[in-house]
Amino acid sequence: MKELIEELKEKIITLLNLTEITAADFDEHARLVGGDLGIDSIDVLEMVVMVEKDYGVAINNQEVGEKVFASLASLAEYIQTQRSGAAA
Amino acid sequence: MTGPPVYIAAAGIISPLGRGMPATAQALRANTTAIAPLEAFPLLQGEPLPVGQVRDLGADPVLPRTHLLAREAARMAMREAKEPPEAIILGCTTGGILTTERLLRDKVADPQTYRYHGLASVAEDIAGLTGCRGPALTIATACSSSAVAITLAIAMLRRGGLKRILVGGVDSLSRLTYFGFHSLQLVDRQGCRPLDATRQGMSVAEGAAMLLLTTLRPDRPLGVVLGAGLSCDAYHPTAPHPQGRGAVKVMQAALADAGLPAAAIDYINLHGTGTPDNDLAEARAVTALFPQPPPLSSIKGATGHSLAAAGAIEAVAAILTLRHGFVPGTVGCRQPDPALGLMPQLTPIDRPVRTVLSNSFGFGGNNGSVVIGREDAGVAAAGPTVTAPLAVHGCACLTGAGPTRETMALLAEGRPVAGMMTAEAIAGHLPPRLVRRAKRLTRLALALAVAAHADNGGQDNPAAVFMGTGWGALTETCDFLDRLETSAEQFPSPTDFISSVHNGAAGQVAIHFGATAANVTASGGDYSFEQALLAADSLLEASGQSALLLGVDEGHDPLSPLLDPSVAAGNSLADGGGALFVNRDPVQAHALIRLAFYQQDEGDATVDQLVQALAGPDHDCAAVLVGIPAAETARGRRQLACFIDRCDRQLPVCEYRPLLGQFASASAVATALATICLGRGILPGAVVGGSDIPLGPGSRIVVLGTGRFLTAIECIRP
Repeated sequence: MKELIEELKEKIITLLNLTEITAADFDEHARLVGGDLGIDSIDVLEMVVMVEKDYGVAINNQEVGEKVFASLASLAEYIQTQRSGAAA
Repeated sequence: MTGPPVYIAAAGIISPLGRGMPATAQALRANTTAIAPLEAFPLLQGEPLPVGQVRDLGADPVLPRTHLLAREAARMAMREAKEPPEAIILGCTTGGILTTERLLRDKVADPQTYRYHGLASVAEDIAGLTGCRGPALTIATACSSSAVAITLAIAMLRRGGLKRILVGGVDSLSRLTYFGFHSLQLVDRQGCRPLDATRQGMSVAEGAAMLLLTTLRPDRPLGVVLGAGLSCDAYHPTAPHPQGRGAVKVMQAALADAGLPAAAIDYINLHGTGTPDNDLAEARAVTALFPQPPPLSSIKGATGHSLAAAGAIEAVAAILTLRHGFVPGTVGCRQPDPALGLMPQLTPIDRPVRTVLSNSFGFGGNNGSVVIGREDAGVAAAGPTVTAPLAVHGCACLTGAGPTRETMALLAEGRPVAGMMTAEAIAGHLPPRLVRRAKRLTRLALALAVAAHADNGGQDNPAAVFMGTGWGALTETCDFLDRLETSAEQFPSPTDFISSVHNGAAGQVAIHFGATAANVTASGGDYSFEQALLAADSLLEASGQSALLLGVDEGHDPLSPLLDPSVAAGNSLADGGGALFVNRDPVQAHALIRLAFYQQDEGDATVDQLVQALAGPDHDCAAVLVGIPAAETARGRRQLACFIDRCDRQLPVCEYRPLLGQFASASAVATALATICLGRGILPGAVVGGSDIPLGPGSRIVVLGTGRFLTAIECIRP
């Protein structure tokens, strides 16, 4: 899980061009969307595509999306659960 | 309303509902949808999504689908016209992209095959078809493009110089828009259901509509454009302001322009795209402005959303409601969303309609509303609009050499500045968050806008933004199509799609400055900045409003050499632009500017007209800055030689493209150079290969554009 979180930090910083933050000071429990990083609905859509492309996990429901993108930790947890579910 | 009434002499329409006004009226009365699974191009995988597609369009070996649609609508509108229009104004966002997508995929390297890619190529094709010799303008404000085009057309007609303008909009289906809107999760898999409680989005569509507008009363006018207005949400690149702030403002502006109270509107044709956010924001705006709304509906459940064509298609729908006395239904809406607080007309109803308010909102928060009415619905016309010239109070430019100071320092020594700054250097001191999602074009535009604003002291924020760009956001367009292809159409980027629209950059400028008035992006190839200047001069209010006027283009490998024939001619890449902070207050202005001339090249006679427009052969012009696009070298040289020959005295001339580089908006840099020099009171001699030229009150510099069109921007020291 920790590995996945670290990987997501790097990916999201690159994907969303978050030049003001490094992986080291990326708080996985902080509010992800609408928080200090300036991440908005467009970025969410970009992350949805990335999660599907890189992890094979689809997020195509707004209600699910709001929970999943609450924080980086919740995103990692969702990916982990969905992947293990698919593998089972 | 000021100026003479603007009559609709004729109209043409081709949409998923059919061809021509009778077929369209019949389809609207039948209240059926034309939305069906995509067939216009094959998909690599997945079930085709529902779209609004024009049937039996046929194909052409050379002309893209957009051009074919535009031609059909233009032929219909001009069928009975005895004289050609004096100008063409088209709203368009797709141009030849459907063809370009195929060419890029097939790795076709011949630039000649891309010659119908540009948005401007559609308007220029229609100019050729109709024999129009005046300006062929293209407005690219995404889904409001043709409503903005109509607004510009009536402003130009009311000023009195022109009598007949063919105005409209066109867009074809394309992979860019089909996958782009899908990537934003804005497409309803069941087909568009505007205002329905369970609506899930739009259906991307295509079509074209044209109106022949004239101030000379035709024998049987179809109706009158009573007024129109523009606004900008200045809120978010795609999402509407939740309370419909921009929507309220644009409807207010249109009503004020028409001189009508809200109560005088008989029918509201909603933008009504069927996306949850749009319909909610629009409903809030309507209920805020209309305590008891008149009958209202959205026809996009029938037609789909034809993007840049929608405003013109719905203007034709408005004409039909006036003439046939009915209000169309809202196809697809079964259970109106109670959260909207509106009761849309679900099925068509017969009732007399004298006035229609038609809304169009686009990405970038670019909004346009048009009021169309029967001839007897209008208010008494006032006198012609009289406006002061545009006054420049701040200037900035940017080239390969850097921002204004670096560029000016080299130019003052007559040294070239052509090239490309790095994306990081362009962002310079801009806040990282502001440029986080901005690739090249938007960075250039923001850097220029901020610099021009600062040059005016940084106090007065602009209310309006007018921007010209020849080729738009090439990086995002290329990146979007690349990823679409490499992911086998599975993972297109929503961010790249949003920023690929030509007006994305001007929308970001508006958000940065909170500029909620007109926001207009024009795209006219090498004449894009001239088109933006014309739009600014026509639309900027007489007092109390300031605007940023920009011309910006980005150099891109591989797209620039493929698309821009002047780059294809073997020149290295260059880009940049210019920005002016303008209003109508001449006090302490650096310069006053106007577009003195814009006509299609028809040989020496056109040069004679140009000289007349500059107040005769003895005009006291201090210097001429001439732009000769590389692809037009022979013609441009001939035009310049003829111009020099027609002038009474030897004029200092600077051919600026070899210095600035080959890019479409180079004339914006030249204009910034001219206004800076006028402000300083001296034109460095090295620029024109002579001694320094003092510039006193009344001195003027002309920025001449050559090639297929001959243009002149006149800059005068007040």
